Amino acid sequence: MKSNGEESTMKKCMFEDFIDDYLFNRLDRPQREAFEEHYFNCSHCFEKMAERDELITVVKAKGSEIFRDVYAPETAEHSWLEKVVAFLTPQQWAVAAVSAALVLIVAFGILPNLKTEAPEFFINDDLVRGSSIKLISPVIDNLAQIPSAFRWQSLGENVDYRLFIYDNGNLLWSTATEENFIRLSEDIKNLMMPGKEYSWQVKAFSTEGTLIAVSSSVQFKFASK
Amino acid sequence: MNIETKQCFSVILHALVIQENWLYNGTKVEQKKLEINTKEIIAKYRPVVSFRVKKSIGAQTPDWEDVVNEIMVNVLEKLNKGEFRGESSIGTFIYTITSRRIIDYIRQKSKVLKHAPEPNPYLSPQEHIENKERAEWIAKAIEKLKPKYKEVLYLYYYQELSREEVAKRLNITPRRVSERVNYAQKLLKKVMKQ
Repeated sequence: MKSNGEESTMKKCMFEDFIDDYLFNRLDRPQREAFEEHYFNCSHCFEKMAERDELITVVKAKGSEIFRDVYAPETAEHSWLEKVVAFLTPQQWAVAAVSAALVLIVAFGILPNLKTEAPEFFINDDLVRGSSIKLISPVIDNLAQIPSAFRWQSLGENVDYRLFIYDNGNLLWSTATEENFIRLSEDIKNLMMPGKEYSWQVKAFSTEGTLIAVSSSVQFKFASK
Repeated sequence: MNIETKQCFSVILHALVIQENWLYNGTKVEQKKLEINTKEIIAKYRPVVSFRVKKSIGAQTPDWEDVVNEIMVNVLEKLNKGEFRGESSIGTFIYTITSRRIIDYIRQKSKVLKHAPEPNPYLSPQEHIENKERAEWIAKAIEKLKPKYKEVLYLYYYQELSREEVAKRLNITPRRVSERVNYAQKLLKKVMKQ
């Protein structure tokens, strides 16, 4: 068993444990009342509490002077710079500085050299911003006879249209017109076979030749010529 | 409290002691014994009552000394009337009288102030230190303590950390914290006696 000075201060009364909590108002009411009644009857506890009260009072009143040397950094008013510095440990500051340097190197040294060519944007025949052309006929898949004409909704004046007829994805025939319909010539009709799948599409161009609208592609087939 | 009032209470207390002696009207030995007992009661319990009153209504409250005097007069009156029958200890008897008077005081003040005074033992420490010279001595004695005792006093009493928090901060057991506080107090007491 150790016999140093600290342990020689043996407790004589179980209520001694209440002293500090009583002085700091940490006891609940029943505990406080029990302890108060106790120290009216126990001169040992009262004497000890009075001494402790005096000690705490002095520590509280003169703590900033008493502990100024050892604990000045914790008690003194810090400037904003000191508060910022104290926010991280020196090791953490070192890591933060290295990280910041790396970020700057990457941002201004490496990334500009890795700069790729600007992406090119273009409008192909299938991607057009603007209005579309509504196809009117034929829009039914299975036709009894080969269509004699193809009709679509007009987009107004000063518009040129181009009709495309595809045979299984391959362009079979194409023609331009200012009207909103096309009549098929007999030559073209002779190129087309009953039961085979075809599709048609119309594109609209301005008078300057700029693509301004595209219709959807509609499939069709016919039973006989 | 002014000096005249203090003198008045002193006279009342003295008169009660004499009255008590004459009431018994016994032998000289009995009179002397009773007088000593009464004085002992005052000497022993006045500091205890004062502490309790200051803790409850605040040492900064100017009325605290009046309240203590009223309690002591009341105690002696009740003893004279034979109201203390030994059913409880004299300490408990005085504690009960003290508690009732404090409650009455707080109720009276509550009617005026709407809020009862809350105990705030260390909020105005400068007012609380009655003997400034003694406080200086204690402060110097604390400064001379070894760092391990000083740091415990700093964290436990100045920073008001819990015993467990102090123990964690200093990497010692909570029991060791109490031991260091007690030992620091013992050292201070020793220094103060020199």
